[in-house]
Amino acid sequence: MTQFHSGGCQCGAIRYRVEGALEYPHLCHCRMCQKAAGNYFMPLGFAPGKTLTITRGEPGWFQSSDPVRRGFCRDCGTPLFFDTLQSDGMAVTLGSLDDPAAFPPVSQDGIETRMPFHAALGSLPGKNVDRDDLPGGIESIASTNHQHPDHDTELWCTS
Amino acid sequence: MSTGIHSGGCQCGAVRYRFSTLGKASICHCRMCQKAFGNYFAPLVEVEGFEWTRGARAVFASSNLSNRGFCRDCGSPLTLETDDVFEVAVGSLDDPSVVYIAYHANIADRHEIIMRLDAIPDASPDREAENNQWNARIVSHQHPDHDTETWPERKA
Repeated sequence: MTQFHSGGCQCGAIRYRVEGALEYPHLCHCRMCQKAAGNYFMPLGFAPGKTLTITRGEPGWFQSSDPVRRGFCRDCGTPLFFDTLQSDGMAVTLGSLDDPAAFPPVSQDGIETRMPFHAALGSLPGKNVDRDDLPGGIESIASTNHQHPDHDTELWCTS
Repeated sequence: MSTGIHSGGCQCGAVRYRFSTLGKASICHCRMCQKAFGNYFAPLVEVEGFEWTRGARAVFASSNLSNRGFCRDCGSPLTLETDDVFEVAVGSLDDPSVVYIAYHANIADRHEIIMRLDAIPDASPDREAENNQWNARIVSHQHPDHDTETWPERKA
């Protein structure tokens, strides 16, 4: 039986579905992925052929170089797709999957520009955030969360 | 706190910023930051003396208390803004390595893979060769990692 994985942007204006497994899930450390992601790396997995379907909305596209365009949500900004125009298929950002743990990365690419402290990230101290700085604490965020839920929905209206 | 002039912006360069002071920095693992960044976590640094130097960010109110700034032309996540705190996405700095990440936040949602990132193998030599061939073909449309007088640059 074919498995489907769904995902989308934070606000839910763009939703997508992938049929079967994402290929070569990996972390890309190149400076283009870093800046596009506002992050230290971009985690990507490749949906071959026509296995990726955009089920809601129209993403925005930025042509980050001649051979590649990057898809994102114009309403909330979430980086979603990495599309090499000549290839048959498209990569999706693993964190935009409703289940980001579905395809653990198997490789690290673009290591020339990997952050020097990358390997040490796991050893940083951890803490649960209480958001005591906010009058209503963390509950005031949880109870007013405008993020799309981690599953497909019949209707979604971003307020 | 470290003071100086720090610049940054989105991938395409339509939105640029500058700030003077770096404050507390953390990696946030909450599911809202994950989804907003399309990633496993969001690295965020509190800043002071901040100004937008080019363009206007778009904003998504991810909750009643938080606004997330991004570029509407290329999608780069840029800021997390509340009444009390103004944080910048560390990867959007022109030099992200100036930020010292002090701790992991919201660890309840943290992905297990984060604790063993260094165990993920580097790309195989074949894959690296393929990547390098690819990189040689790239003419980047990304804004450079410094401020520019005008943008987009038009190459003859």
